[in-house]
Amino acid sequence: MADLEIRDLHVEADGTELLHGVDLDLDKGTTLALMGPNGSGKSTLAYSIAGHPAYDITKGTITWKGEPIQELLPDERARLGVFLAMQYPVEVPGVSLTNFLRTAVNAVNEEDVPVREFMTRLRSEMSQLGVDESFLQRSVNEGFSGGEKKRFEILQAALLRPELAVLDETDSGLDVDALKIVAEGVNRLKGPDLGVLIITHYTRILRYIQPDQVHVMFEGRIVASGGPELADELEEHGYENIKDLKASV
Amino acid sequence: MTTTLHLDGLTEDALTARSGEGGEPDWLRDRRLAAFKRSLDQRWPDSRQDEFWRSTPFDRRISVDREIVQGGAARAPGGIGDDADAPVVVANIVDGALTDVTVPSGVADLGVVVTDLAEAAQTHRGLVEAHLGSLTTSDPDGTGAGSDRTITVNDAAWTAGVFVHVPAEVEVDTPIHVRIHATEAGAHLPRVLAVVDHHATARLVFEHTSADDVDALVDEVVEVIAHDAAKVEIATLQRWANTVQHLALQKVQAHRDASVRHLSVTIGGATVRLLPEFDLVGPGAEVRPLGVYFADEGQWFDLQPYVRHIAPHASSDVLFKGALQGNSQTVFRGNIFVHADAVGTSTDENNRSLILTKGARADSTPFLEIECADITAGHGSATGQIDALHLFYLQSRGIDRDDALRLIVFGFFREVLAEGRIPGIEDAALADIAARVEAADLGSVQVNDAALQDHT
Ligand SMILES: Nc1ncnc2c1ncn2[C@@H]1O[C@H](COP(=O)(O)OP(=O)(O)OP(=O)(O)O)[C@@H](O)[C@H]1O
Ligand SMILES: [Mg+2]
Repeated sequence: MADLEIRDLHVEADGTELLHGVDLDLDKGTTLALMGPNGSGKSTLAYSIAGHPAYDITKGTITWKGEPIQELLPDERARLGVFLAMQYPVEVPGVSLTNFLRTAVNAVNEEDVPVREFMTRLRSEMSQLGVDESFLQRSVNEGFSGGEKKRFEILQAALLRPELAVLDETDSGLDVDALKIVAEGVNRLKGPDLGVLIITHYTRILRYIQPDQVHVMFEGRIVASGGPELADELEEHGYENIKDLKASV
Repeated sequence: MTTTLHLDGLTEDALTARSGEGGEPDWLRDRRLAAFKRSLDQRWPDSRQDEFWRSTPFDRRISVDREIVQGGAARAPGGIGDDADAPVVVANIVDGALTDVTVPSGVADLGVVVTDLAEAAQTHRGLVEAHLGSLTTSDPDGTGAGSDRTITVNDAAWTAGVFVHVPAEVEVDTPIHVRIHATEAGAHLPRVLAVVDHHATARLVFEHTSADDVDALVDEVVEVIAHDAAKVEIATLQRWANTVQHLALQKVQAHRDASVRHLSVTIGGATVRLLPEFDLVGPGAEVRPLGVYFADEGQWFDLQPYVRHIAPHASSDVLFKGALQGNSQTVFRGNIFVHADAVGTSTDENNRSLILTKGARADSTPFLEIECADITAGHGSATGQIDALHLFYLQSRGIDRDDALRLIVFGFFREVLAEGRIPGIEDAALADIAARVEAADLGSVQVNDAALQDHT
């Protein structure tokens, strides 16, 4: 049994079914890429794994480390090691970034990390990700540029040390240098205890973070799977052949 | 022997006797009697008729049939600043009497005066006579609204007064704390006059506390004169038990290039009607009226910041934020008046309310009354609930719902509190808010999931 096992997942939002039976396996220590055209349901899947309240799972299961998690609250899932770097990170006005990170780290570790130890760790992770110290004074995502938000998502992953990291278009909005820094950040986290699901439209991030497998989503279903070469093929030819791919499943 | 005074039955004889017992100079007695005479022509507010009282039903929320408390046996409670690195200035008003004033020698050496207002009427007669009542109804030339009996009776019968004087060019960082504490039932009439001379700086903190369950009405008047280029930071904390009725006029006159920041933190009290008022009488003056408030079951807060742009090229920026839970009511009635001569005025006025649970009501009306075209003015008001997306984001990082709610509520207030510059005030305010949130039934907090549908 895979560490993350998604079976026949049907998801609705606002009364419309968006995922029509998704199956997916992901083991810790491996990296999966999920690609697919706009609106195909990639983020819906990511949010469903994290427990976003707008998405109702009407059928199927999400099993993580042998335990069904689809009924758990988002924070319970996070404490089980699930992390979602969001495509559109949320601005939370006034909530101090430092305070937020410390509360999150304490919640996930289920212990009180002493302030000084925490600040030392935070500063070191920030400098590795090229996040300026002045951000310590800021509010969560408030007024951050697109790229800053993405960096901040990875900074959170670095602090929370998840076992499953879903990166939903973390590469979009990043310039080449930033992409490299962020990808290096993800690679530092990688190891036998981390499974990564990278959602992207482009192969450029996959050149830094090598996927073991690539899945293609189309209209709420996974319609093709293959090795890393599938990503190159998609980037070159687009999703025009998707119907053929669909037929070949 | 102290002559008793009744708030709703003042007499010329009683006021004269009282003034004599207090050893007050004749001019002060005459001021009191003049105010008393004016009060005879006034009625207690009628919320159906008086524009500024429409927001709070006077007969239901305020009772004036009370004896005026003029001192008692209770001791001062201590407060914010007691643990500060450097000792702060403290003036204690307990049960309608000024019980003690402590001025650290370093502050006194600068020539700063903090003393009994009745004494200052003799020792600093020039300043006190010129300014006491200049911002309220007791001076016919004042800019006060002039018709509110709750203010006129304080002019006539205030019992515990503090006078503050910061001489020109003296910069005092040490906060001056005026602590108003009520343990006895009845009417409490504190009075404060602060004169900050040109190019001087001062920090004033008003701490309002009470014994549990005390049935008191506190009818307070504070006047602050900020002369040319003075910098004044004011914080007022309403930390009453939830039985106290509190009416407060805290009025500031800002002269040329004076800069004033006023932060009110309203947490306690059954009914609190707070009037932070600002007359911008000199060009280049600027004021920043800030407010945070958190109303809980049974509480009624009526917040009426009033800024009058009388001189040109002055600026004001009002920001009040309140949270509500339980059966509570808050009113924000902001007023900005811009005189025809006040060209180049820049003003903004905003109110935000966060409704946590069902049953709470927030009324908000930011008024602009503009007689001058050549200005920039803005105003806004918004009432909302906790945003489900904010909650999800925090929860997705492992933070449980209750902790996430706390962070969001603190965050809501942080925008205002982060601006405060008097040490200890922000912490005290956050502690008060934390206590409120701690006592709240977070399970019943209502979340707005409209944002969830907006999926792009
Ligand atoms: N909360 C929602 N309510 C209603 N419809 C939704 C909601 N969220 C997503 N959808 C719809 O579901 C479909 C899939 O959206 P999703 O965001 O999962 O796509 P995606 O594959 O991540 O696309 P992109 O590559 O543009 O990010 C789209 O048609 C979208 O409009
Ligand atoms: Mg998406």
